Amino acid sequence: MLNIVIKRYLFQMIFHFIIISLVFVFCSSTYALEKQSYVFQNEYWKKTIKKASGQTIYFHAWGGAKNINSYIKWASNEVMKKYNIEVIHVKIADTSNVVARILSEKTAEKNKNGAVDLVWINGENFSFMKKQDLLFKDNWIIKSPNTKNMDFKNNPGLLNDFGISTNGMEMPWGVSQLNFYYDSEYLKSPPRSALELRNYIINNKGRFTFPQPPDFVGTSFLKQILIELIKDKSVLQSPFIKKNHEYLLNPLWSWLDEVTPFLWQGGKNYPSNYSALTQLLADREIDIGMAFNIAHASNAISEGKLKKTVRSYIHENGTLANVHFLSIPYNSSKKDAAQVFINFLISPKAQLKKQNKDVWGDPSVLSVNKLKSEWKNKFINLPRGVATLNNEELQMKLEEPHPSWVKAIENQWIQKYGSSN
Amino acid sequence: MNIKLYNQFLKFILFLFGIVILGPTFFGVLGLLFPAFGYFPSMGSNDFSIKYFYDLFLIPGILKSILLSFYTGFFSTILALLFSQIILLSIFNTKFYYYLKIIISPLLAMPHITMAVGLIFLLSPSGLIFRLLSPWLTGFNRPPDFFIIPDEYGLSLILGLILKETPFFLLASMAAIEQFPANKIFKIGKSLQHSNLSTWLLLIFPNLYKRIRLVIFIVIAFTSSVIDMAVLLAPSTPSTLSIRILQIYQSVDLDSIFIASSLALVQIFIITILISCWFIIEKIINQKFFFLFIIKILPREKSLLEKYLFISGVCLISLSIVGIVNAIFWGLGDEWYFPNIFPDTYTFDHLTNFLYENKFIMFISLFIALIVSLISIIIIIVWLEICDYLSFQNRYLESLIFIPLFIPQISFLIGVQTFLIKIDFTNYLIALIAIEILYVIPYCFILLGPALRGVNKDFISIGASLGKNRLERLFLIKIPLITSSLLTSFGIGIIISLSLYTPVYFIGAGRVTTLTVETLNLAISSSRQDLGVATAFQIIIPILILLIIVYTNKKLTKWSF
Repeated sequence: MLNIVIKRYLFQMIFHFIIISLVFVFCSSTYALEKQSYVFQNEYWKKTIKKASGQTIYFHAWGGAKNINSYIKWASNEVMKKYNIEVIHVKIADTSNVVARILSEKTAEKNKNGAVDLVWINGENFSFMKKQDLLFKDNWIIKSPNTKNMDFKNNPGLLNDFGISTNGMEMPWGVSQLNFYYDSEYLKSPPRSALELRNYIINNKGRFTFPQPPDFVGTSFLKQILIELIKDKSVLQSPFIKKNHEYLLNPLWSWLDEVTPFLWQGGKNYPSNYSALTQLLADREIDIGMAFNIAHASNAISEGKLKKTVRSYIHENGTLANVHFLSIPYNSSKKDAAQVFINFLISPKAQLKKQNKDVWGDPSVLSVNKLKSEWKNKFINLPRGVATLNNEELQMKLEEPHPSWVKAIENQWIQKYGSSN
Repeated sequence: MNIKLYNQFLKFILFLFGIVILGPTFFGVLGLLFPAFGYFPSMGSNDFSIKYFYDLFLIPGILKSILLSFYTGFFSTILALLFSQIILLSIFNTKFYYYLKIIISPLLAMPHITMAVGLIFLLSPSGLIFRLLSPWLTGFNRPPDFFIIPDEYGLSLILGLILKETPFFLLASMAAIEQFPANKIFKIGKSLQHSNLSTWLLLIFPNLYKRIRLVIFIVIAFTSSVIDMAVLLAPSTPSTLSIRILQIYQSVDLDSIFIASSLALVQIFIITILISCWFIIEKIINQKFFFLFIIKILPREKSLLEKYLFISGVCLISLSIVGIVNAIFWGLGDEWYFPNIFPDTYTFDHLTNFLYENKFIMFISLFIALIVSLISIIIIIVWLEICDYLSFQNRYLESLIFIPLFIPQISFLIGVQTFLIKIDFTNYLIALIAIEILYVIPYCFILLGPALRGVNKDFISIGASLGKNRLERLFLIKIPLITSSLLTSFGIGIIISLSLYTPVYFIGAGRVTTLTVETLNLAISSSRQDLGVATAFQIIIPILILLIIVYTNKKLTKWSF
């Protein structure tokens, strides 16, 4: 009897031992593997830095906002000092021009020494480049050491661009959400939905406008209105098919038909981008401005462009939110330097400076909890700015429609309102 | 035998120069024509077709764009010509005539874009004029929602172009007046009891017109295809044809290059039609009955019409000056809200910031301008010397250098760009310099050519009899004699190069940027303060260059006879 008990006990002991040792072996092996991959990554990165030294890269990025340009200038100086990489900011008016250029290089079979080494991108431009095979693949973003501070698991948005998987071809750079701003001295309660906004525009002739599509913010505004008006929002996540979906845009067109004659300058002229809206609001030509950067108003206040009484708001049911990215064209011959520069741009130092409302105010893509305590404190102690909404206020976020909707909306808008002076 | 070989060699050099100058023009036209007719082998299109000419009429609003380009070109040219003549006839033979050159030089020297910016600062609903009138007269305590600049019909674009081209016509006319005894003719007219207006129209203008005809055609070609000014002053729904071409050329569609090239051909066609219209009008005016008709209706006495026209002409010129001064105020002002006429506070921060961030751009702009102007002048001198040596007198060949001025910039540059991509030429700076030379040479040539040819032959023969060879004669006799023209054309070359927008935008491809391109970027987005600073630099730099040239000229020619 006792024998049996001891046998059983022994059996259990052995079983436990096996389990524990198995777990231990598994853990240690994964640890070793991890360590090995870390060493490997480290080696890879060291080589990349070495190759990158002395290279000059052309960074094609929208150049319509002075604060962003200054920030890029600062970052370029930093990598010059640290890694001996020269970054030249090519200021562009519309990212689709860059895509067109790379496409024309590909059709001319210029597969090396492309004009563009790095491009600031998201949305339909990314989806087009991905479809046309114009991007550097190789899952390079994981190889950048500073991605360790990003929490991809809890932030799937960092790996998806307008619902399209980025497949490691795009490095998240910043987070944006469409927001509106107004001067609280003159406007007490701003309109917080598409319908309220319609009434506001009709009652205040000439005091509202949006950047002229195909400008990024202008088109996003149209998407925002569409999402608010459409009944079945889920259909927006599937690709746009003309014969099935065209009628779904009708609520947007009838909204615009009502509103357009009451827009600024009778809807016959539009500002070219969102920076121009800031100036119009400062002059009080319009009542409401919009931007994708949640700290835009605060930033403009600290630069002295807007009055201190300006405040931000978003619509009740939320506004479009997305991530903007950095990616490398397939035919760049300076991919090493581009990667080193990108890695710097997502470092805590660069992201902290970017999030500072006096510099740019673009929220960081890093996960504060993953950072070392010194950086963590710095991020937590950043002042938010009087006109920036807090995280609770910004909680209502709308998902971007599938990129194929952009072209459909833009083309029809141009046909209906952009060419019928 | 040896000399014959030497001559052959020189002819070869002449031929080479011809290729250097005309080669890009040729390839630009080729690079435009092939895609326009659907031929672009590397894009998988091997057949010529005219299908894109059908496609382009399907672009929404394209006919409106074409019409807009057409009449802005026509009216701005004819009105600028009118105002320039009115100003001239009113002050001809008065002491103001001699000050006129000083007033118009800075207006001529600054880029088109600066004029556009000045106008916007002045006329927009939040601009200076509404600030001056508000709220005491208008009752506005915020800017009104007026659709003035840009406006629906392209009137502000026409206004901007008039402001910029009137000084150009003034200069051209003043140069032409010196070529015939205008003073005597004017006095004869006056002694026949004619007013200034009728004297000018009947006696002087016909003489003058022959001499500025070329300039008029250049202005027609430019104004109907202008880009930089149209970005700021033309309506945007839809814009002028040139802007539409730019947009289509840069869009992501695979067809875009074909459609843009066919549209660029349409742009050339517009200019051809405009110039033909001009010919027809010339023909009509040349008829005897028309001349008699004019004589009949023209009032002999100084009429009110003349007075009004003169006043509006003067107003226009002062408008541009005030607009620019206002732009400089924006560069120095801070917290300047409507309807304050002056800024609340002044600061140099914008200025120092701008300098810090754009010092490289300013350096490269000046560098390109200097190189371009220098090379242009060297080419002209060598060309003229060789022509002189070979007694080569073909003036028609020379008129070919004016071709780039008659082809719309956008059409020509699309062609060049296509060609550059095709041959995979990646040195943007060299390409840009080569293309800018094409635009600078004609202006330098207008000044330098007649001066160098006009050197008194006796001096040369004396030099030759003293045993000086050709090179010595050039450097010791000819060049010192034409120092003043040489310096002026060098300065003009720099100023033209600095003001070019479209070539830098296209050929520089963002890699090489100049101050003019940067200013346009600022104008369509960022803050007024930065735009003000950029505009200030765009005025100060050309004026400084003019002053330096005047000063050096004085220093250098003090001892000459």
